Amino acid sequence: MANVNEGGTAADMVTCTIDGVEVSVPKGTRIIEAAEGIGLGIAHYCYHPALSAPAMCRMCLVEVEGAPKLAPACVTTVGDGQVINTESERALKAREGTLEFYLFNHPLDCPICDKSGECKLQDYVHSEGRAHGRSLEAKRVLGQDDFGGDILYDGDRCIMCTRCVRFMREIGGEDALCVVQRGHRSVIDTFYDEGVGENLWAGNIVDICPVGALLSKDFLHKARVWDLDRTPSVCASCSQGCNIYLDGRDNAVDRLRPRQNTEVNSYWMCDYGRYNYEWLNRQPRLESPLVGGTESAWQAAVISLVERLKALPSGTRVRVVGSAVLGNEDNGLLARLAEVVGDGETVFRSARAADEEPCPGFPVLRRRRELAANVEGLKLMGFSRVGDDEGRGGLEASSGDVVIVLGDDLADLPEDFGRGAELFVHLATHASAAAAGADYVLPVTLYAEQEGTFTNADGRVQRFWPGLQPPAMARPAWQVLGVLLAGLGDGAAPADAANAFLRVAQIHDAFAGLSYENIGARGALVNELVRLGAGAGEEG
Amino acid sequence: MAYPYRHEQETVVLTRGFGDPRTRTLEGWRALGGYNALAKVLEMAPNDVIEVVKASGLRGRGGAGFPTGVKWSFMPKDDSKQPHYLLINADESEPGAFKDRELLRWTPHQVIEGALIGAHAIRARHVYIYMRGEFFEPAQIMARAIEEIYQANLAGRDILGSGVDIDVTLHLGAGAYICGEETALMNSLEGRRGQPRIKPPFPAVMGAFGKPTTINNVETVAAVPHIIVNGADWYRSFGTDKSPGTKLFNVSGHVVRRGNYELPLGFPMKEFLYDVCGGIRDGRQLKAVIPGGSSVPILTAAECEELALDYESVAAAGSMLGTASVIVMDDRTNIVKQVRRMVEFYAHESCGQCTPCREGTEWLAKILRRIEAGQGTEEDLDTLLDLGANMTGTTICVLSDSAAAPVASSIEKFRDDYLALLGRAPEAPALAAAH
Amino acid sequence: MSSRADAPERTPLQGGNEGWAGERGEFESLSESDVRGSGYVGKRPPEGGAAGAACSYPFQVAERDPDAPLFEGPYRERLEKILSRYPETRGALLPVLSLAQEIRGHVSPATMDEVARVLKLEPATVRGVATFYTMYNKRPVGSYLVQVCTNVACNLCGADDVMEAFLAAVDGAAGDTSADGNFTVIEAECLGACGFPTAVQVNERYFENVRPEDVPAIIERLRAERAANGKEG
Repeated sequence: MANVNEGGTAADMVTCTIDGVEVSVPKGTRIIEAAEGIGLGIAHYCYHPALSAPAMCRMCLVEVEGAPKLAPACVTTVGDGQVINTESERALKAREGTLEFYLFNHPLDCPICDKSGECKLQDYVHSEGRAHGRSLEAKRVLGQDDFGGDILYDGDRCIMCTRCVRFMREIGGEDALCVVQRGHRSVIDTFYDEGVGENLWAGNIVDICPVGALLSKDFLHKARVWDLDRTPSVCASCSQGCNIYLDGRDNAVDRLRPRQNTEVNSYWMCDYGRYNYEWLNRQPRLESPLVGGTESAWQAAVISLVERLKALPSGTRVRVVGSAVLGNEDNGLLARLAEVVGDGETVFRSARAADEEPCPGFPVLRRRRELAANVEGLKLMGFSRVGDDEGRGGLEASSGDVVIVLGDDLADLPEDFGRGAELFVHLATHASAAAAGADYVLPVTLYAEQEGTFTNADGRVQRFWPGLQPPAMARPAWQVLGVLLAGLGDGAAPADAANAFLRVAQIHDAFAGLSYENIGARGALVNELVRLGAGAGEEG
Repeated sequence: MAYPYRHEQETVVLTRGFGDPRTRTLEGWRALGGYNALAKVLEMAPNDVIEVVKASGLRGRGGAGFPTGVKWSFMPKDDSKQPHYLLINADESEPGAFKDRELLRWTPHQVIEGALIGAHAIRARHVYIYMRGEFFEPAQIMARAIEEIYQANLAGRDILGSGVDIDVTLHLGAGAYICGEETALMNSLEGRRGQPRIKPPFPAVMGAFGKPTTINNVETVAAVPHIIVNGADWYRSFGTDKSPGTKLFNVSGHVVRRGNYELPLGFPMKEFLYDVCGGIRDGRQLKAVIPGGSSVPILTAAECEELALDYESVAAAGSMLGTASVIVMDDRTNIVKQVRRMVEFYAHESCGQCTPCREGTEWLAKILRRIEAGQGTEEDLDTLLDLGANMTGTTICVLSDSAAAPVASSIEKFRDDYLALLGRAPEAPALAAAH
Repeated sequence: MSSRADAPERTPLQGGNEGWAGERGEFESLSESDVRGSGYVGKRPPEGGAAGAACSYPFQVAERDPDAPLFEGPYRERLEKILSRYPETRGALLPVLSLAQEIRGHVSPATMDEVARVLKLEPATVRGVATFYTMYNKRPVGSYLVQVCTNVACNLCGADDVMEAFLAAVDGAAGDTSADGNFTVIEAECLGACGFPTAVQVNERYFENVRPEDVPAIIERLRAERAANGKEG
């Protein structure tokens, strides 16, 4: 017998049988949830676990023994001793019939519809619908509309599940969408010319639309979804750390979509992060290590740099600049290098908004003031902020004997930046004019091209995976830095990202006890006392 | 009575005063004994009022026929924590039904008195009369009546010095048949789209504005003052054991005398049509009868021969008494045309929430239009039946079932009418001349 | 009252059916005012009268001004009375939309927006509600909105012919407003007067027992009322 929910006393539990499987659930659990718990997905459109359930699509009707009518599984609570059959003849006929009604007016747009391949109408009709349509009538035409912002609406494809209307009201915080008219003439619309473009959460309605009625202009006709690679990752646009998928093909990111995490972002992400991915596709990239401006092989470059570092006198001042869009592993080993080479400061620059914007329906989720993913991680590892809220300024030229910059593009700095330094190293993804005079330019990977972790504003360490192939000669920064440290006699170079993380955890108490295993796909919290002691967590 | 005259077979209870303009005034209603029942009820405990109505066997007259006293007993017995509401369903929009309009425009105080009694019984301090928007004239009459009762301390604070407070508000709809469905009515009262709600929760638990609510039809509450004054046994002396009391039978279509007739339940259909209503017009023959408004299955003339007009008997005959809105069709009637028109009505009125109804009603209508135009096939008949089956029992409310009922019953019983139209481009001459 | 077991076919009254009663039979004494109840009702005060009756004024009237301000003067008082009858502001939405149409003749986007602001609702919410209900005109209609019931009970008794007669009398297509701005003729669903076919609603009045031959007289009557500045009978 499956016990779907741990906890709850025996008195609070009810037992039912679904398709022959006995399952015990807390009282008040709905049939669709109980079924989900035993891995049985009941077909549905209007139901969504994070929204209210109107029970109007009529797809989830199941047969309950002894009841005269079929019951909607999305709102019917499990009764003790109930015998539920989702595949009875009546239930199957009802689903087949309902799907046929959906197809009565739905245009067969699959060849030109972006949703094809991830469309719930396709999926259910394919598995349970009629083989042939019986309608001889002309389909009604309701037309298309621009809802403002990134959203296009196709009224003909709409199945009137009203998920979008309820999302805007319950999660997005405003009644921006409504059902207009009634009956077979009903459509979704905004208030005339007012659109949803001002709402920071509107992009989510494209995700939750079961069919291709709501489309993203950004993604329109860009790619077929079955051609896309889908990689679990973390959004880098602010310090909330929404879990996402990178969807791309031909080694470019085509779109970001939220990945469910009940502790961080529920099923959602904000539009600011959602549409901010082109920077991952920016070309051209640094293709090769440069030593004194000349292309070099890695080995030669590394050996040369290690010699230069060894030759530095003790007490050398070191200015190290970290990157808030690179992981704990990369920045952690950078800080270690700074420590080993001399003393000085570890700093970072990052853009910051005037305020945060909470998600009205799920306030744990907000677009944070910090507009980069790993500001918290940097703080925990002792980096301090310089520069302004645009992420500019704060770096004087050649203020230290040794300048090592990771990731920061130095776009606001002059070409002679670092000329006065004893040693200027730039670990970067793209060439920078300010690093024209750098002694060493080493190509590293974007976070989307490697494994690693970010620490979000609430102290949650979350893993990301590589969704893009880096240029052939680029390396993860933690790998480069690990080799340099090994060359300086500071431990062995970590063989992989997991070990790089463990190495950083050894140095910084905040990460003590964490590992890739226990971080998993959902993330894990850092040591809270260390976090608060480090003054981290303050929004700033 | 086929207003303004009355048949000798009628049992005049609710229709007393119909056709007399004085009846609608407070003074006129009082002259007929009005508001004695209210005065009596205000001295009774609410539970006792419920018991009297339960004992009378009064059944809801809005179509469902649910025992009214039982419905009232579902309400919480204590209104100290949250207000209760009584809603009077005056949204009469069922094709064929025109009884409530007569009650509202001739005897508004009868309805108000019954509502006030009901409110006291269910411990409600506010009665909303939800009247369909098209009933502007009955609404003005009702509005005047409401002015009168407030002036006479029959509503508002401390009614007749009893310590009971009950407010009455007349709320107009704006054109939506579906708002006659009790949960859609509540949504409409709350200023929302008139879409039915899923049950549970039931109105008596969570209804209008989230509070315990009872919804009663106009004709139902109109009977209540008479039950209070004359007693439950008196009410049971009319009608049958399972369907006691009198009913307004509203008859339309091809009879000589259309109109409202108040008769005891259980009255024989044949006598009703041929005696009370004067028989079929123009000397024609009876072809079909819809006994309870367009939502119920059609009956053939033969099925009416031995039929009694009460809830049980009509159900046993395969249809429903519903609102007792009897629509009579003679032998010139083009059944397909009338069914098409009814289905178009449902397609127009569907709220659009549930897919089988939203898409199905329009699909049925399109097929029927095609058949009527001579472009149908016999396969279309099978499709109509199967679509209708998929529209029955699968939706939040029964509008969908109501659209399917005339289609299924007419194909079953008047298949020849359909067959005559198949594959013929112009309409058959004999049917073209009929209505 | 005697029974009428063998009632003769109804004979037309002089001038044709007056359109407001059933078979007149013995009730010769009934006047139009008796049946319509207009004498009993009298003239309703624009500020609403008893608060419980404030939410029930006719909102399809011949006199209207699309540019009139919405809730000023007596209408402001009526608005307050309406609001006082509902535990939640939103409950007043239908009566307030109705009042807006009573004043302006139809519910435009600007009107929806204004109503939304007054009730502190979002405009899209108001749009969703206003467009659900048939009686809220989304665009202006003629001074008289003539709605002919063609549903089954009236259909059995010739409603289609009555509809044709009205369209011919105003010389227009269904849904269009006549050139002189007086009439818009549309089909309606069941008006709840099935015993008196064909039932026709003209603004706030029902005309019953209408036959095609009665239509010209009804149109003439309405024209005359309009000419006399919309004074209703």
